[in-house]
Amino acid sequence: MILVISLVVAILFGAGAYLLLKPDLFRVIVGVVLVSHAANLALMGSGLSRGQPPIYPLPFSDGISDPLVQALTLTAIVIGFAVTTLLLGLVVRVYRSHFAPDLDEVARAEARREAELERDEVSI
Amino acid sequence: MLRLLPAIIALGAFAAILAGWAAGGGAVEAAWAPSWGLELSFELDGLGALYGLLATGIGFPVFAYAARYLPLHLDHQGRSHREEWRFFGLLLLFMVSMVGLVTARDLILLFVFWDLTAVSSYFLIGYDRQEAEARSSALMALLVTGVTAVLLLAAILLLWAEYGTFSLPELAARARPGALVTGAGVLVAIAGLAKSAQVPFHFWLPRAMAAPTPVSAYLHSAAMVAAGVFLLARFYPLLALSGLVLDLLLAAGLASIAIGGVLALTCDRLKQVLAYSTISQYGYVATMYGLGGGKSVAAAAFYVLSHALAKSALFLTAGAVTEATGEDRLSRLGGLARSMPALAVGSGLAAAGLAALPLTIGFFKDELFFAASFDDSWPAAVAAVAAAGLTFAYIGRFWLRIFAGRRRSDAVRLPPLLTAPVAVLGLAVLLGGAFAPPFGDLAAAAARASAGAVPPIEPAYHLDARAENLMALAAYATGILLLAAPWLWRRPAAWVASTGARLGPERAYTVGLAGLNRFSDAIHEIEVRDLRSRIAAVLVPGGALAVAGLAATPTAGAYRAGTLSTDDLALVLTLAVVALAAIGTAAPRHHLTLLLSVAGVGFGLAVVYALLGGPDVALVAVLVETVAALVFLGVFALVPRDVLRRMEAIPTPRRRRWRDPAIGIFAGAVVFFVVWGALSRPSPAAAIADEHVRLAPQAHAKDVVTAILADFRGLDTLGEITVIAVALVGVTTLLARGRLR
Repeated sequence: MILVISLVVAILFGAGAYLLLKPDLFRVIVGVVLVSHAANLALMGSGLSRGQPPIYPLPFSDGISDPLVQALTLTAIVIGFAVTTLLLGLVVRVYRSHFAPDLDEVARAEARREAELERDEVSI
Repeated sequence: MLRLLPAIIALGAFAAILAGWAAGGGAVEAAWAPSWGLELSFELDGLGALYGLLATGIGFPVFAYAARYLPLHLDHQGRSHREEWRFFGLLLLFMVSMVGLVTARDLILLFVFWDLTAVSSYFLIGYDRQEAEARSSALMALLVTGVTAVLLLAAILLLWAEYGTFSLPELAARARPGALVTGAGVLVAIAGLAKSAQVPFHFWLPRAMAAPTPVSAYLHSAAMVAAGVFLLARFYPLLALSGLVLDLLLAAGLASIAIGGVLALTCDRLKQVLAYSTISQYGYVATMYGLGGGKSVAAAAFYVLSHALAKSALFLTAGAVTEATGEDRLSRLGGLARSMPALAVGSGLAAAGLAALPLTIGFFKDELFFAASFDDSWPAAVAAVAAAGLTFAYIGRFWLRIFAGRRRSDAVRLPPLLTAPVAVLGLAVLLGGAFAPPFGDLAAAAARASAGAVPPIEPAYHLDARAENLMALAAYATGILLLAAPWLWRRPAAWVASTGARLGPERAYTVGLAGLNRFSDAIHEIEVRDLRSRIAAVLVPGGALAVAGLAATPTAGAYRAGTLSTDDLALVLTLAVVALAAIGTAAPRHHLTLLLSVAGVGFGLAVVYALLGGPDVALVAVLVETVAALVFLGVFALVPRDVLRRMEAIPTPRRRRWRDPAIGIFAGAVVFFVVWGALSRPSPAAAIADEHVRLAPQAHAKDVVTAILADFRGLDTLGEITVIAVALVGVTTLLARGRLR
């Protein structure tokens, strides 16, 4: 089981890293989402015990699963969601100021703006 | 008047230090970081008392002068009077850090105050921040003294590594001559020489005159520059262990006397003359430390004391004269003695003190200097006479050009607060000449702190043909000759000035700074132009580090495959779906398909969490995935269709077609081994989870996870909620209507 979980975590992370390198900002965000999924699964997989849900009345026969990692994963999922939303807001903002949510376009616009500033500085 | 408050504080501090010193000094100690051997330990010894009294005693008249000068200064520049408080606050910080520096016994503490003086002087020199010259001068002072301060820290750490203590007295007792002490000594000497503006670091000081006059007066006489020679005095027991270090001080000191003196003779701007004079004067002090021996160290301490009194008065004079006439060049001034007699007398006394005329404290400074150099060797004695003659000439030129001769400019009446401090300091110079013994005792006590046993300083006038008196007469004669026959030196001095400007260290500084700027621009250019390379630049070295870590770890027994039973079939199948969906995110061209893929990953993971025995997590994951998918859809709706189409159609460059997947696979592989290794070795400390399970009923919760979130680790949840709130505010702000430009 350990091996399987590790493998899936690795696939999630690898796919995320690949998407992070894309120029399309939406794909970059999906990359971030996948990387946080990888972290969540790793966290959940690191539970020390596996069994029934840790809810009273506790089952007598089976063991229960580790409640601590569940609490941590739950927090991580919610925070990951907040980060995703914020990133999406940023993308909208970038689209509005540069007219394309595309990293290459943003970089070109930044360079243009930089050159403008330099020119203004010289003329002052 | 509230503006006089800093002056009153300075006076109070002066009285306190004087009282403390009269009571025999004392020490204060408090733990700072005991595990690192750091202590907040201060001691008022002779050296601390001398420099502390200077910092506060010179501070009093200078701050009083500033109380009147600064409003005028701000009026000239059309600035608001509210900016005064920044100035006085910084001046007080300057004084406090100076007092802290001279009384600190712990070397790290000393370093902190050392840097504080650099920081406060940076803001003070650049106080006229609307002027580019003031800003660049402040930066130059900060860079020259700040970069060399790092050398001081390096020396402190070297000594600590060898002798295991940050306490200076313990170090002095333990240190033995050797390569390490010599190396540390050279570093300390460079730091001290740079701070006291000695050749080849002297160039920052004349620039620093861009500061308002009270700052220059204070910086040159009792703070900043004095801190440099203080450091030499403080470390003298270590510096004296190495002949090389002393020779270095001697060479730098003699070069500074010569270059500073010659340039002071040629300059036309008032403050510049005084700045070069300061370089030359502290050159004397460095020379005396370089000569070594109790007598020289005592002479050096006395020199610092008498120079500070005279130089602060002269700087305040320069500011007052410029204020009254609007001129700051010697060539446009003259004959002011009749219209401002008090200023003329006060600064005349100070100038006489610097020129070492009898009846002033300055006479004894040169007498001690002559005695020390005469004892050393005859070349040193000749150099001493030449140096004193040069000082006589440039300071005589300074005073005579302002106050004597034909009148060249009109002068308005000065407010008394601009002349009184000069008169007070001038009288102090005269007082030192008449009743020298207390000053001598203070200097001798300071020297004892540096060099142990020191012969007492007994300043007195002797009407006989002893060597010191003859040397003084020779120096006066040299000075008068230089004054009377300027054609003798005009050409060579101008040559020194132009060569220095062309080939000097200032040019190296300018070129170096420009090169650094270009370098930083180039890096910035790369960052802006290729954002994705930057991401890869984080991912790849991070992965390489992890690989190195893996390679260094033994593999035997590090990895376990774990057990797999038939009950796990559902889990494995779901995980396979998740993996397929994750791989699937790499392929689709359309954003909607991409969204479906990633949602597939999310919902698949929710099922995994449920199968792992976490219904709470699964529930939250389903909720979050749903909302996240909706948010994605909403954002797609905000961006026009044609823009989305265009982005979907971005072609991948040929070289990226292989590079990006390779990086992705590499990253995945590294993560695989890291996570597998981590999961294979679960921590045996299961007690925490068991404890949570046991205590959950007491928290009135049936669900242990809920109990953990809401109670046991409630602070985590509070942090989580805060993140959500911040994200909400951020998104609202980002989506608010309007464009950036």
